[in-house]
Amino acid sequence: MLVEAQRNPVRRVTGLARSTPGRLTLLALLLVALTLLVGALTATSVQRRSDALTALADRSEPLAFAAQEVYRAMADADATAASAFLSGGVESAALRQRYEADVAKAAAALSTATSEITRSPELGEALSTLSQQLPVYTGLVETARAHNRQGNPVGAAYLREASTLMRDRLLPAAHSLYRAENANVVRDLGGATALPWLELLLGAVLLGALVAAQRFLTRKTNRLLNVGLVAATAAAVLSLLWVLGASVVAVSGASSSRDDAEVVDVLAQARIQTLAARRDETLTLVARGSGGEYEKGFVAASDELRGLLDRAGSGAAVTHFEAWQQAHQRVREADDRGDYTAAVGLALGSRPDGSAVAFEALDGDLRESLGAARARLTDTIAGARGALTGAVPAVVLLALVAAVAVAAGLWQRLKEYR
Amino acid sequence: MRSVRAVLTGVVAAVAVACAPVPSGAPDIGGGSAVVPRPDDASELTAPPSSAAAAVPSCDATASLRPQGAPPAAGQMPAGSTMERIVRSGRLRVGVDQNTYLMGFRNPFSGQLEGFDVDMAREVARALFGDPEKIQFKVLTSEQRIPALENGEVDVVVRTMTINCERWQKVNFSTVYYQAGQRVLVPSSSEATGIESLGGKKVCATKGSSSLANVANAPSRPIAVEVPNWTDCLVMLQQGQVDAISTDDTILAGFAAQDPYTKVVGPKFTAEPYGMAMPKASEDFVRFVNALLERLRADGTWASIHRRWLGEPPPPPVAKYRD
Repeated sequence: MLVEAQRNPVRRVTGLARSTPGRLTLLALLLVALTLLVGALTATSVQRRSDALTALADRSEPLAFAAQEVYRAMADADATAASAFLSGGVESAALRQRYEADVAKAAAALSTATSEITRSPELGEALSTLSQQLPVYTGLVETARAHNRQGNPVGAAYLREASTLMRDRLLPAAHSLYRAENANVVRDLGGATALPWLELLLGAVLLGALVAAQRFLTRKTNRLLNVGLVAATAAAVLSLLWVLGASVVAVSGASSSRDDAEVVDVLAQARIQTLAARRDETLTLVARGSGGEYEKGFVAASDELRGLLDRAGSGAAVTHFEAWQQAHQRVREADDRGDYTAAVGLALGSRPDGSAVAFEALDGDLRESLGAARARLTDTIAGARGALTGAVPAVVLLALVAAVAVAAGLWQRLKEYR
Repeated sequence: MRSVRAVLTGVVAAVAVACAPVPSGAPDIGGGSAVVPRPDDASELTAPPSSAAAAVPSCDATASLRPQGAPPAAGQMPAGSTMERIVRSGRLRVGVDQNTYLMGFRNPFSGQLEGFDVDMAREVARALFGDPEKIQFKVLTSEQRIPALENGEVDVVVRTMTINCERWQKVNFSTVYYQAGQRVLVPSSSEATGIESLGGKKVCATKGSSSLANVANAPSRPIAVEVPNWTDCLVMLQQGQVDAISTDDTILAGFAAQDPYTKVVGPKFTAEPYGMAMPKASEDFVRFVNALLERLRADGTWASIHRRWLGEPPPPPVAKYRD
């Protein structure tokens, strides 16, 4: 017998498969393998979704925020330096503090953005431009300041050079950094919002196999239910429901995060356009009559800003934007009729109808809306991650339970053939 | 024995391969070459500016239109005259500079425009309105001066503007109100002694200025670098991006006053008579301004403005007329 089996193992296996105990053994082996395979695949799929959310929460979103801070702080520093220059004399303590805070913020956000450079080597050039040129920019601003304190008009030329450096090199690099980091957010959100079709399919295949096995057993053994298979089916159903429930919650969370991320993006862009418009409004006055290009820049930034505010749907911000536009009109009218002092007063002073007040109000609105939108975004991402907590261990555990139950249930039947 | 040797060789080879150094895959730090900042719109000139010097008929550039008696009293301008139109508009629109220390510059403390040119412009406003504050300044770069007059954006340009025949084709000039000449400013460590020793060196001047044309056409063939504003030249000199600045001695004196590590060298190699420029059409206004300049020279106002900005006054430039 042994010799024959060694000589012809194929016949032995097929012979065994033709006998009922053989079939039962084969069924048990197949079912255990299928249960474990489905468990492993489902766990992998859930893990991938969870990884996407982790990447989103721990890297992409914070990095996009850092890039946005770099961009905003630099635009703000540029606008503030222009205001400080226009105000004449030694700049006010408030403007100086704002500029210093901007530079500190830009440098800190830049170091955060740079720490992850290995993940996105394509950002190397933008990051190295930013790191190289920020100290050059601040150096030029301080040189301008030193000359201003001595009453040398060359200070203005240093400030123009600094502003040119900011506009031509730093801001474009900050913009491309922000766009790239924002694209990473969108990509990770895409990974987290894929519907759980694979998990559903795998679960359905396993359940179908278990039900078919149950019917086969019922036919062969005339017993209605096999406790092991019932337990395995229950474990599979539980696992499927868990995975589907958790995934649906995570997907809906991630989908609403996608909306939140868009709102954050729109508000961030609106804030940067606000600062660009403010800088151009100030530089028009600094150029004193030959600032046509800056005025065009103001109009372009305002148009962009109007569209962004419409998309963001922020009522208070739109009101303040309109107030600013009217104030800007008054500044231009005063400057155009030759009343330069009044124009500067309207642009910089604390008059309620002046553009400084309207700009501050708009910037404050946007800062608050942006903070709230980002808080919503991180909350929904946290919620989505929370839904997936424990799903992977549960899937693995339930797969093991189902496999053991299948083996035990069929062993029960096999014993009857001894 | 041979097989043992073969095995040993194989082992040694394997060890050698395994122990070969593996270089780091990390990228270079970069930043080896610093990217220096430059003023906006600065560029090296490849060809002399298109001054159609040959096509311009020679003329007596400094001779202007003769005034018709003393200027009318402020606020009583003849009907239909350019002056009456300006008085009715409520302000005199003047093209000036805010980047030329001592001539026309923005005082960083007050934010106000000041200087020799600015004070001369205020005298014109005083003659028209009786009030030197009835004035709207429009800051112009050298390049923008003639277009601003042609487009009627300003009534008069008082901005270190050299009178020459080419410009007479497009605008009218007053009589000479300041006699300048082009020289060279270099760092105090420089061994240059004038424009003739700057061959192949970078020399800065503003776009559209007569200084730029003079630099580009100098026989020693320096490399002309053009920028929008005069102070941009000083920035480039201080940052070591140009070797010298060459323009009128008045402007250079302003630079030397801002930077003690510079010196003005060489003789005046051109004569740069400054005039107030007005649109070609308004001849009555030119005669009015010339009458005013006669008075300023005579009553000591010119001398006191000179003393305020440029030091002890020489005798004022003598007016020449072509009638």
